Amino acid sequence: MHHLFVEPFQVEFMQRALVEAVLLGAFGGVLGVHVVLRRLAFISDALTHTIFPGVAIAFFLNTSLFFGALAAGALSAVLLTVLTRNKRVTSDAALAILLTSFFSVGVIVVSRGRSFSSDLTSLLFGRLLTVSWSDVAETAIAMAVVFAALALVHKELLFRTFDEEGARAAGYRVALLDFGLNLLITLFVVAAVKAVGTVLVIALLVTPAATAQLVARSVPRMMIVAAVTGAVAGWLGLLVSYNASVEHDIRLAAGGTVVLVISALFVLVLALVKARSLVAHRHMLPVMAADAA
Amino acid sequence: MTFITETFSSSLMQRALLEALIAGSLAGAVGVHVVLRRLSFFTMALTHATFPGLVLAAILGVSLFLGTVAFGLAVVAVIALLGMRRDLDSSTVTGVVLAGGFALGVVLLSAQPGFSKDLSAFLVGSILTVETKDVVTTAVAAVAVLVLIVVPHKELVLSAFDPGAAESLGYRLVLLDLIVLVAIEITVVTSIQSMGTILSVAMIVAPAAAARFWSDHVVTTMITSAAIGAASGFVGLVVSRQLDVAAGPSIALVLGAAFALSLVVAPAHGLVSRTRHASDDGVAASPPTPVAT
Repeated sequence: MHHLFVEPFQVEFMQRALVEAVLLGAFGGVLGVHVVLRRLAFISDALTHTIFPGVAIAFFLNTSLFFGALAAGALSAVLLTVLTRNKRVTSDAALAILLTSFFSVGVIVVSRGRSFSSDLTSLLFGRLLTVSWSDVAETAIAMAVVFAALALVHKELLFRTFDEEGARAAGYRVALLDFGLNLLITLFVVAAVKAVGTVLVIALLVTPAATAQLVARSVPRMMIVAAVTGAVAGWLGLLVSYNASVEHDIRLAAGGTVVLVISALFVLVLALVKARSLVAHRHMLPVMAADAA
Repeated sequence: MTFITETFSSSLMQRALLEALIAGSLAGAVGVHVVLRRLSFFTMALTHATFPGLVLAAILGVSLFLGTVAFGLAVVAVIALLGMRRDLDSSTVTGVVLAGGFALGVVLLSAQPGFSKDLSAFLVGSILTVETKDVVTTAVAAVAVLVLIVVPHKELVLSAFDPGAAESLGYRLVLLDLIVLVAIEITVVTSIQSMGTILSVAMIVAPAAAARFWSDHVVTTMITSAAIGAASGFVGLVVSRQLDVAAGPSIALVLGAAFALSLVVAPAHGLVSRTRHASDDGVAASPPTPVAT
């Protein structure tokens, strides 16, 4: 046990990385439940790309990545909310075009810098092992905000998810709720960017929640399972990446390894569920979401 | 106009132009099927999840093209299999596969020396380094894909608009879907050379989404879309050379601009003509529905 929990985390940069990875994994899981139930995987993925120019510009102006990304993120959350409510363009095509255009602006900004390749790499895939305590603090505050906001409108968000017409008829401002959720996703993406980069954030949001959806039968349980899955993956991913580098001299990108571990957990749970349904000769009840159009 | 002939005076730029024209028109034509079937996010997942195939092929020293196509087909199979589960939504499955596949590529690549430099070429493309044999491969692939989608054209269009009718007429839907998926996968692989894994979805989706504003007829839409794709490749290369920015992002931005322009000014369904005819009969307010040929 010592060798799993204590030894790799004796150095301070590993402690910081661990706190950061577990925070992001756990809260990404909770927020991800809304992403998965509302089928917002593509919108979230688009958001991760559209905040990229904000991150890139902040990087070169040497201002806080956090606020640069937040500014770009808020702008893209507005654009996405508007675009996906416009029924004239198929929303998936509009999203694909918007995200590649924004992303291109980011790449062009980065390509103006002197160390294009390494800057691009660190912005896209993050540097989990070099986060500072102040980054961890920023992440913790952002996660507290996300969690508080989710708790505050939990009932309203679920009402809107499972019965949009009903929520509207009951007098809830659906557009405002949608925008709010997009904003929370943006906040999460922004907080996670430094650690795992823009491209891999989507895994923290979608995969733990998808894993939870395979086994949990109520929304609160799904949130708990997703949070645990995300947090465990954060710890396990760091451990694998650390051991590969120390014991076998193979460098594995820490952020990427965390994401691979999440995917492996998903596959494992999928196999277990499948095996159980084969053994017990009965099918899992579909989770509520599978039938909620 | 001399700057245009100047731009393409070197054989390097001529090869790049040829590659952009072929890949652009192919992506434009196939993109119409992507947009009709709302497969943008799926295509995005294919581009991302194909990434480890590219890395593996590069590490093993096998043909990049064949290696990537083989890996991509495996990805198609995984998404199709997971998509059959009733307890998982297809957009969630797509997100999970996208993130997991991409992370696998990143981790594989991070274990190699020279990580950053290779990575940025894979991510945003390197059309300026294409060799004559790459152009030949692209041309052969383009012909093969065109044959693949032109021969069963009627069946493909019918099954996109009305799967029920297609099935009752005795067409094998699974086979038709498979043809479309293979065509998309080969197109993704050809456009990765010029656009990279992240931006190639722009080359496939944007021309088709733009072309739908210009025409209601599937064949006309395909021709328009191919023309927009090729023209954007050409303009993108010129802009990239004149402003000294990376070619991939430059082409992606031109594609985005072509879409925005079509959205506003296209005579058939653009916003301007819509506003003008809005009072006529209300038909203009419904989404453009292409007529099957």
